[in-house]
Amino acid sequence: MIVNFFILSPRGDTVIAKTYRAKAGSSLLAHERSHTEAFFRKVKFWDGVAPGTPGMDTTLGLTGGLSGAAGLQGSGGKWGEEKLEKKGDAPPVFVMPDGYSYMHIKRNGLIFGCATEKNVSPVVVIELLSKIAKVFKDYCGTLSEESIRKNFILLYELLDELLDYGYPQVTQTENLKAFVYNEPIVVSKVADTGKMINPKTANASAVHKPVISSVDADGRKTSLSANQKNEIFVDILERLNVVFSNNGYVLNSTIDGCIQMKSYLAGNPQLRLALNEDLVIGKNNGSSSAYSTITFVDDINFNDCVNLSEWENGRTLSFHPPDGEFVVLNYRMTGEFKAPFRIFPSIEEVEPNKLEISVHIRAEIPDNHFGANVSIEIPLPGITTAASCSVVSTPGAAGVHAEYVTKEKKIVWNLKKFPGCTEQTMRAKVSLGGPCTSQIRREIGPINMNFEIPMYNVSSLQVRYLKIAENLPGYTPYRWVRYVTQSSSYVCRL
Amino acid sequence: MAPKDGTPSGGGSDSRFFNTNKKGEMHELRMELHSTDRNIKVDAVKKVIASMTVGKDVSMLFTDVLNCAQTANIELKKLVYLYLINYAKSQPELTLLAVNTFVKDASDPNPLIRALAVRTMGCIRVDRITEYLCEPLGRALRDEDPYVRKTAAVCVAKLYDIAPELVRERGFIETLHDLISDSNPSVVANGVAALSEISETSGRDVMKISASVLQKLLAALNECTEWGQVFILDSLAKYTPADAREAEGIIERVTPRLQHANSAVVMSAVKVILSYMDVMGGGAHADSIRALTRKLAPPLVTLLNSEPEIQYVALRNINLIVQKRPNILENEIKVFFCKYNDPIYVKMEKLEIIIKLVSEKNIDQVLLELKEYATEVDVDFVRKSVSAIGRCAVKLDRAAERCIGVLLELIQTKVNYVVQESVIVIKDIFRRYPNRYESIIATLCDNLDTLDEPQAKAAMIWIIGEYAERIDNADELLDAFLETFEEEDPAVQLQLLTATVKCFLKNPEETQDMVQRVLDLATEESDNPDLRDRGFIYWRLLSTDPEAAKLVVLGDKPVIEDDTFRLEPNLLNVLVGQIATLSSIYHKPPEAFVVRAKRGATGSDGMGVGDLGDDIEEGDEEEYEDDNDVNRGGGGDDLLDIGGLSMNDNAASSNYGNLGLEPDMFGAPTPSVAEPEARMSKVCAPEKSGGIELWAGFRQVQGAVKLELDVRNISSNVPVSTLAIQLNKNSFGLSPAAQQIMCNPPIPVGGSGRHSVELVVNPAMLVQAPAGQPASPQIQVAIKNMTTGLVFYFAVNFAFEVLFSPDGALERATFIESWKSIDDKKELYGTVSDLPPASTDIDQVAAKFKAHHIFLIARRPVPNAEGQEVAYFSMRTTTGMVFMAELTFKKGVNAAKVCLKTEQIAYGVQAKVALETLLRS
Repeated sequence: MIVNFFILSPRGDTVIAKTYRAKAGSSLLAHERSHTEAFFRKVKFWDGVAPGTPGMDTTLGLTGGLSGAAGLQGSGGKWGEEKLEKKGDAPPVFVMPDGYSYMHIKRNGLIFGCATEKNVSPVVVIELLSKIAKVFKDYCGTLSEESIRKNFILLYELLDELLDYGYPQVTQTENLKAFVYNEPIVVSKVADTGKMINPKTANASAVHKPVISSVDADGRKTSLSANQKNEIFVDILERLNVVFSNNGYVLNSTIDGCIQMKSYLAGNPQLRLALNEDLVIGKNNGSSSAYSTITFVDDINFNDCVNLSEWENGRTLSFHPPDGEFVVLNYRMTGEFKAPFRIFPSIEEVEPNKLEISVHIRAEIPDNHFGANVSIEIPLPGITTAASCSVVSTPGAAGVHAEYVTKEKKIVWNLKKFPGCTEQTMRAKVSLGGPCTSQIRREIGPINMNFEIPMYNVSSLQVRYLKIAENLPGYTPYRWVRYVTQSSSYVCRL
Repeated sequence: MAPKDGTPSGGGSDSRFFNTNKKGEMHELRMELHSTDRNIKVDAVKKVIASMTVGKDVSMLFTDVLNCAQTANIELKKLVYLYLINYAKSQPELTLLAVNTFVKDASDPNPLIRALAVRTMGCIRVDRITEYLCEPLGRALRDEDPYVRKTAAVCVAKLYDIAPELVRERGFIETLHDLISDSNPSVVANGVAALSEISETSGRDVMKISASVLQKLLAALNECTEWGQVFILDSLAKYTPADAREAEGIIERVTPRLQHANSAVVMSAVKVILSYMDVMGGGAHADSIRALTRKLAPPLVTLLNSEPEIQYVALRNINLIVQKRPNILENEIKVFFCKYNDPIYVKMEKLEIIIKLVSEKNIDQVLLELKEYATEVDVDFVRKSVSAIGRCAVKLDRAAERCIGVLLELIQTKVNYVVQESVIVIKDIFRRYPNRYESIIATLCDNLDTLDEPQAKAAMIWIIGEYAERIDNADELLDAFLETFEEEDPAVQLQLLTATVKCFLKNPEETQDMVQRVLDLATEESDNPDLRDRGFIYWRLLSTDPEAAKLVVLGDKPVIEDDTFRLEPNLLNVLVGQIATLSSIYHKPPEAFVVRAKRGATGSDGMGVGDLGDDIEEGDEEEYEDDNDVNRGGGGDDLLDIGGLSMNDNAASSNYGNLGLEPDMFGAPTPSVAEPEARMSKVCAPEKSGGIELWAGFRQVQGAVKLELDVRNISSNVPVSTLAIQLNKNSFGLSPAAQQIMCNPPIPVGGSGRHSVELVVNPAMLVQAPAGQPASPQIQVAIKNMTTGLVFYFAVNFAFEVLFSPDGALERATFIESWKSIDDKKELYGTVSDLPPASTDIDQVAAKFKAHHIFLIARRPVPNAEGQEVAYFSMRTTTGMVFMAELTFKKGVNAAKVCLKTEQIAYGVQAKVALETLLRS
């Protein structure tokens, strides 16, 4: 399988590196290092062409090789200059000139990567890298360069068990416990820059607690039992992808949902989780759903640990929750659903080089719910010279602010709280450096909206109950069940 | 692990272990390692490891650290092993000191320690350790503890890599087979993984799936860890079911895996189902196939909800799947619409799939999307979206008009790169639908000033030439371009030439001067051979028979076709079989990029293959560009485009060179030494080369090294006419003198032809063997079929004797002196048995050798050994390497001992192999 594994810091320093297979002749660490350096440069300054990666040669089809790097140089243009140096993100899989295929994922700014000389399954490798990142997070509490550096011996110990000869071995957090003798050193959580975490919407991954007992920065051992509550976090998380046309019509919409848990239950008892009994799996082709309460899900998949024997009949799952964060199931829906926010934009040309843009957003969620950390971005044309914004808010909306960000040529409109069943409007007067042509018009938009809605889910998927299978007297765990709806890509075209 | 200076040293953090940069730290560490306090000891080892990970040499503490292994404390032991594994790689000889510890630990009562010992020993690639490994490994494979068994299973694969014969002798492969039905899922997973690995490295099918193995695997599938499921599914994918019923039975067991949260399991399950669907065929099983098709879509779509990295891999695979079985995802085009926040690499792949799935039914939706993408920020993505609109037009006759409408709308935006990209695709639309949309030419002509990229210019000029009679001022437009003729890119120059000639044939009166000027520029001013040749052809055509010129230049062009299904069917089949591997990401067969683990001793030399990739890449883009246009049916080229035949300077000169070098033109040929024939071996099967089978061998002709190629057209519908060849860097520095192989007459299906390619030694192509390792005999070759555009790769072992030069006979005295001067330790020797009768007689051997420029220096009977005789030979390569050999024969024994000495130790093995091969032949 894979030859080595490494973690690179955002600056390209090797934070962790382990070789699983001797590469004859180049086994010295220094050599390895020059390889990872070359790899990092490639990722950082991705030029769209990797030797062996056929992205350009097989996919461009009719346009041939010319529209690659060479063709761009001359195109100039507004965006051309910025893009010359780096052409987007590097794909996760490519061949380097040393003949090895490198695969990587990015997590919290860190690069988790590895190399192989064989024709391995890249899905296995990328899944494996994600698992490693997850295990590291479970054991360190947080995933950061600092926490990894501080816990390197523990992590090497884990790596020994995670992989042998490059093959994945034990990758489940709780199964690894038996083999690990070092204790994690907890890194005090760096204050989250900028983004306020709403305690009600922060999902389970915001719990920064290592899964095994740890020592704090002063070397004092924090005992697991004293500190640990008997608790389980359950999130029903739905991420929405919606595209609106400029008249508010929904062009495309999907829900990516998952049920995610983080268990700190003592004794690891078996749990039973029941969903809507009438849940139907398969595409909803008829219009029946509009009149019935049946919940349709296009597809669903389950964690390895889930026992499905009661799934077909009772829509009930049973499992022993593994330690740490894990996804019980993922589901996907493309059927019609009620978009929580509808966006109605309008653009008016008041003078040849003056525009008036107004964006009207209606929250179609019940009034006891609200959108949190709502942020709406409206890109403006490159020739914009100035823009002034004004907002019309209804009572209940909090932290409303809209401004034009000159540097990025866009209007950013934030609402800390967007109450349900209300409408919010933002108007902007935009001055342009020249007349507004149709091309200039096209540069406006698309409007991109980010939000989360605590304790609300768009689909009608419900957890009927979550309970401990056996009746254990006196065993009263804390259950934190949360529904959260988030935007993934929530866009209105103009 | 670069520690930052000034990292606070306090606190309980491991980073305190880094702060030992004081004098005498080694001494201090050593004291601590010998401490009786366990905690001090543990901390000391941690410090050692910290130094080690930042690249500091702490090997001098080896024995001190090793001493710490004598402990029952598993934490300490693990740390020591961590240290050992590290030095096992760089300083294996040191690890020999640890053998006793390993052996002792391998029978420790604690299973963790037993496993640790076996795991670590497997990582140490030293023969002595390997010897000690077999016993404990055999025991570990049958250990009562599953953790030990699973570790041992992987260890067998490690051992196979070091000493395959030991694995076979000990019957470990059979043991691995037993492990498939182990009660523990992890053990099963590793057993299957180890067997697959061994099959891959050895090329032997040790994972042979029999009926009983199949049942075992299917039973294990339900119990196994997620990784184990992947390994089992991948093994199943390699199995060919006996009949449709068996295929269906297995699919039924595999289908539940499609609902696994681990995308690797899903992908491998898809792979099995897809390959078995082929076995089921159509007919009676059409219904089951339809049902499966329906079942495959949801999990594939779900993969697109994973992290972007998984999405990318899934999309590259889906790209293949929609080519093979378009109906699986025909109704799912919406899920491939790009999201605002998709990374660019995901967007590009989605676009590719949208084009593959576009149909009359969804074209309006698709056009709406593509139009939206054309206003995005990323230039590459915008260009590709514009191009995609054109490709939709080429693909869908009835939607072409709508597509053109969108393109015209985009041209109106006047955004430079959007206009250029539009012009390029409109040229293709004209080729696809001649005489249908000429009305838009006026709009294009309005945007001439915007064009500054060669490809867009060339496309526009082609359009002007092709439709000269409908453009009032075609000659003026061309004239404007001609002013800068000399500065233009060759592609533009070629198009200008052709367009002017077309214009002249359509309207001779007004453009006579212009055509004369262009022909002058092309034939006299230019030093581009393609341009000159084309200029001369036109000139001659026009001057001898203008009517014929009309027929040729203005003749009907073949209508191009939709190129959406670009992969050649044979390659596609190969790649669909490779779903869920890197091959499916690169869309190249594995041979094209996999560094063979067992290719001679150059396993370490990864650079070479990368270079091959580079070379081919360049070749595609630069030299063969014109040819690509032809393949794509891209419009810029009329029938006289001779890009496919473009002969580069290199080829031309060396051909002439050959003529001059013929030494036997006048002199009498020397019949005494007939030039030996090449030993041919099959190097390339038709599956991976678009139906062409290749046999290759090497021979020396008139002192020149030739690569002989037998080209057999097994199933390529297009006759093989021109091939281009490139060699990867190799141990001999060989590269082709000419890159073109002309098959004249072209080889039709069922035909074959022999071609020889002269190879010259080019120091730039030389790869030095790593110190102390023999040079690889392998030469990696890339062939491009110029007619189909398909590139394929193969490797062939070089016949070293071909390099021996005729002046290789050493003086007797020199020979003896050189022979003595080389240390016996550098001697290479071996025995060749089962010799043909002719090879047991020294006279006959000497004659045969002489034909290969291996010269007999002396022979003498061995004293005190009845019937034994030795013969000494010398040879010298054209590159000046000298080899000396001693061959010992015994009467009545059909075997010989070969002993070889040389200063060129890296190539000694090659020379020895050459001798042995010749003896056997």
